[in-house]
Amino acid sequence: MLRRTFTGLLLATALVTPAIAQDVTIKYMTFSAAPNYLKELDATIAAFESEHPGIKVEYETAAWDAYFTKLQTVVAAKQAPDAFELNYENFVTYADKGALADLTPIIAADTGFSTSVYNPTALAAFSQDGKQLGLVESFSNVVLFYNKDLFDKAGVAYPTADWTWTEELAAAQKLTDPANGVWGSFAPIQFWEFYKTIAQNGGSILSPDKKSVTIDSAQNIETLTWMIDKVNTYKVTPSDIEMAGQSSEDLFKAGKIAMLRTGIWLLGDFAQNAPFKWDIALEPGKTQKAHHFFANGVAVSANSAHPDEAYQWIKFLTSSKAAVDLRIAAGWELPAVSDAAAVQGYLDQPIPDSREVVFQALDSAVVPPVIGNWNQLTDAVGKELEAAKLGQKTPEQALKDAKVAIEGLL
Amino acid sequence: MAERVLLAGRDGPLPSSPMKGEVPAGASGTIEDRTSTLHLPLHGGGREGAVSISQRKKTPLRFADLATYILLILGAVIMLLPFAWMLSTSLKTRGATFATPPQWIPDPVTLDNYATVFDSVPVGQFLVNSAFVSVTSTALMVLFCAMSGYAFARIEFRGRTLLFYAYLATLMIPQQVTLTPLFIIMNWLGWTNTYQALILPSSFGAFGTFLLRQFFLRLPREIEEAAFIDGAGYIRIFFTIAIHLARPALATLAVFAFMASWNSFLWPLIITTDTSMMTLPLGLSALQGRWSTVWNVLMAGTVIATVPILAVYVFAQRFIIKGMSHTGLK
Amino acid sequence: MSPANTRQRYLALAVLLGPSLAGMFVFLMLPVASSFVLSFSSWDLIGEIQWIGLDNYWKALADPAVLGALRNTVTFIAGYMPATVGIALGLALLLNRRIRGRVVFRAIYFVPVVTSWVAVSLIWKWLLNPQYGLVNVALGWLGFKGPGWLFDPQWAMTGVILTSIWKDIGFVTVIYLAGLQDIPEHLYEAASLDGATPWQRFRHITLPMLMPTTFFVTTISLISSFQVFDQVWVMTQGGPAGATSVMVELIYKNAFSYYQMGYASAISWVLFALIFAVTIAQNLLQKRLDRSDG
Repeated sequence: MLRRTFTGLLLATALVTPAIAQDVTIKYMTFSAAPNYLKELDATIAAFESEHPGIKVEYETAAWDAYFTKLQTVVAAKQAPDAFELNYENFVTYADKGALADLTPIIAADTGFSTSVYNPTALAAFSQDGKQLGLVESFSNVVLFYNKDLFDKAGVAYPTADWTWTEELAAAQKLTDPANGVWGSFAPIQFWEFYKTIAQNGGSILSPDKKSVTIDSAQNIETLTWMIDKVNTYKVTPSDIEMAGQSSEDLFKAGKIAMLRTGIWLLGDFAQNAPFKWDIALEPGKTQKAHHFFANGVAVSANSAHPDEAYQWIKFLTSSKAAVDLRIAAGWELPAVSDAAAVQGYLDQPIPDSREVVFQALDSAVVPPVIGNWNQLTDAVGKELEAAKLGQKTPEQALKDAKVAIEGLL
Repeated sequence: MAERVLLAGRDGPLPSSPMKGEVPAGASGTIEDRTSTLHLPLHGGGREGAVSISQRKKTPLRFADLATYILLILGAVIMLLPFAWMLSTSLKTRGATFATPPQWIPDPVTLDNYATVFDSVPVGQFLVNSAFVSVTSTALMVLFCAMSGYAFARIEFRGRTLLFYAYLATLMIPQQVTLTPLFIIMNWLGWTNTYQALILPSSFGAFGTFLLRQFFLRLPREIEEAAFIDGAGYIRIFFTIAIHLARPALATLAVFAFMASWNSFLWPLIITTDTSMMTLPLGLSALQGRWSTVWNVLMAGTVIATVPILAVYVFAQRFIIKGMSHTGLK
Repeated sequence: MSPANTRQRYLALAVLLGPSLAGMFVFLMLPVASSFVLSFSSWDLIGEIQWIGLDNYWKALADPAVLGALRNTVTFIAGYMPATVGIALGLALLLNRRIRGRVVFRAIYFVPVVTSWVAVSLIWKWLLNPQYGLVNVALGWLGFKGPGWLFDPQWAMTGVILTSIWKDIGFVTVIYLAGLQDIPEHLYEAASLDGATPWQRFRHITLPMLMPTTFFVTTISLISSFQVFDQVWVMTQGGPAGATSVMVELIYKNAFSYYQMGYASAISWVLFALIFAVTIAQNLLQKRLDRSDG
């Protein structure tokens, strides 16, 4: 009797189980949501779950500084979340090491969905050897911010898209006003600024096939000399000591910097906290235009037990109207979608006037020359640039030494 | 140094503390030394400044006293500057945060930053988690270290020195490279995102064991001998006699253990997956953004995190001063 | 004198040492041993582990970054230790005088110990600010032109050392205060009768009686200074131009930024060998001094 009841129970369980098994829980890890956009993330998940009954999304957040320490540890223990956020540089590392699921067949099977919803450049960044290993979530870039009041006061015409370094320097010299602590132009001397600035002079760090090192080319030496001369020779850019530990964005907001190359992530901050008229423009180049391009993407773990459901989630997060609208409204980075109407809300915001510059800059985007040993490359080159900045080495010597260091990493 | 001195403290303050305990090798308390001198005053205070008392009777305010005050007050100002600045910044508006010249007295004073901290993260939940984890692991740490310290000091067994070296070795390897193996072990135990995973790794440590071993080495054996004659064993003597005599030393360890656990960042970061399990330093780390940090809000969070340990220290100060004198430094 | 029989002893060991040993084994010794095993491997944390024998060690011994970090670490220790110990001793002597508000002072000097490194680094970056910082302003009053501190490779380590001394003095002072309280009063009384000056009393009573405390302090400081990391990470991240790059910073970068856990483990064990050797030397030196004292 007892045995029969028990068997019955087993049978009942067996019958019920499949129904339960359809309820899949996806684990998602993010750095961009905390702490300011958790409400938007919650709302996105709620919208997703109502559209996909049977799939639940659980998320964990970590601050940017700690995110990759945590992600690497859980990946090492084979406990990677089903889906996780990656910036472009780390995407390349994870893709190289085979940690990401190939989405190409899943996308191909997803009838009624086309990747044309994404900005093609931005989406291509998250593919490797013809495989789509992630979907692009958002992007940022760097443009020229300028203080209109300072330009007016000095009687200098505003920057235009035609400007080159020559016009920039001429304006900066007029704008610099040591008596009032005003500096004409600012760009930091570090690795990230360097790889973009050399591109503005037709230079590069690696050859296009990433097999040989081109960092010590004549035009790169010229470019680095120019970056340093703005500080030491022309004195239109403050040195580290002259900045006295204040960040360039705080100096800009205080009206002490007339032209600042910095990221569009500061648009909101400046709109609220800069008590003067300002606008943005394309960066001046030397022989050509070049602008930074930073992207965040979302990938599915190669070890995920539910790659299809995880894909549904990241597709929703990156391209659904609900998610895009929530992001634009909250200013939670800029979704990398191709539909101009979707980002109209972004362009419509009143300050600054020339918001379209953000999208124009994409036409001359330079992607960082990422290699497998990327973090070592950035540290090694950064150290040499610092030596040049401090006057310990000539620009030529620093770039020669950087070349040797990079060759050791390829 | 204190928080890092401690405890294998599988970690410390942001972004990660590699500092583990250290090896006190006090005189007559060297690693292999088991006999050691027996000098031990069992009561601490009351003797300080004996020299100046007699002299003070003659001249109420001597030059030396005045100089002492001036030096101490100057030093105290320097010591308090950062804390004062932290407090002041936490009460400033965003615009005043980087005013030049810097404002020491915020104008206007605002509590908005504290409100922002409470709005953006569940501080209450973090505080409860931190308090629970810190108090529990401190209690366990003190208990386990007292028992093991007593065993190392009093019970002879083969391989004792070798085992002690194995304890000490755990202090000399940076946490950065043991973190991943520990996580794999926890995962294998199925303990990720649990309280025991937060508590247990900071409940053991060579520093505490060594600290208390040094104390027990110096306890006069005569005290225990009477009990031995009455037929009591080590266990009973430990729980009925030794642990009570060690109270000051235990209090010292407790404060250090509490500090280490409270400030711990890297391990909770790795082992928790759920916001509801996060401890305070981990939860507050979300206040530091990728592109920029709102310093006045971050400082409000730091004040919230610092005040509890300061309170614990002030409360236990007497125990620390008195306790230290019995932990084998003499 | 131990009256316990063997069985009793093992029972006591099991009860008193067992729990600690079990915990130490699982949570500390096993991970430490794992790092030793990993030091013979190449592991990027994501892919599979490959065993490469002693390669990591050969690489570490030839790596200029390791040598540079080691040199900077030793510089840190040389600047930090004597000053911290010396100032803490002086402060303990002051705080040991019978003065009003002593309890308050003792609490104040402990405040930096409990303040987070993030807050500490912020204020010290400001104090050491080359242009407006209080330190350079004060140097200006004295007629000196202050250096660029954290922005100057020649001075950055000095800035880190100053900050570390400031933060850790309170901790060492507490230990010295404890040592001072155990010096028998009658020694001072006898010395006073013999007409000893305060300096002689300090030189011939206080200092020798504090020898054990000094050993304790120097040993724990040595081990923690070899693993100096937090202050460097929040203040300079190893810069400028690598001037403050230290051992544990290198280990952290290799483990979590360069995806080289095996190599990071090998550097850690090189560091371990150094710390261990210094600890043994310290232990031996102390025994010799103990013997010569006795």
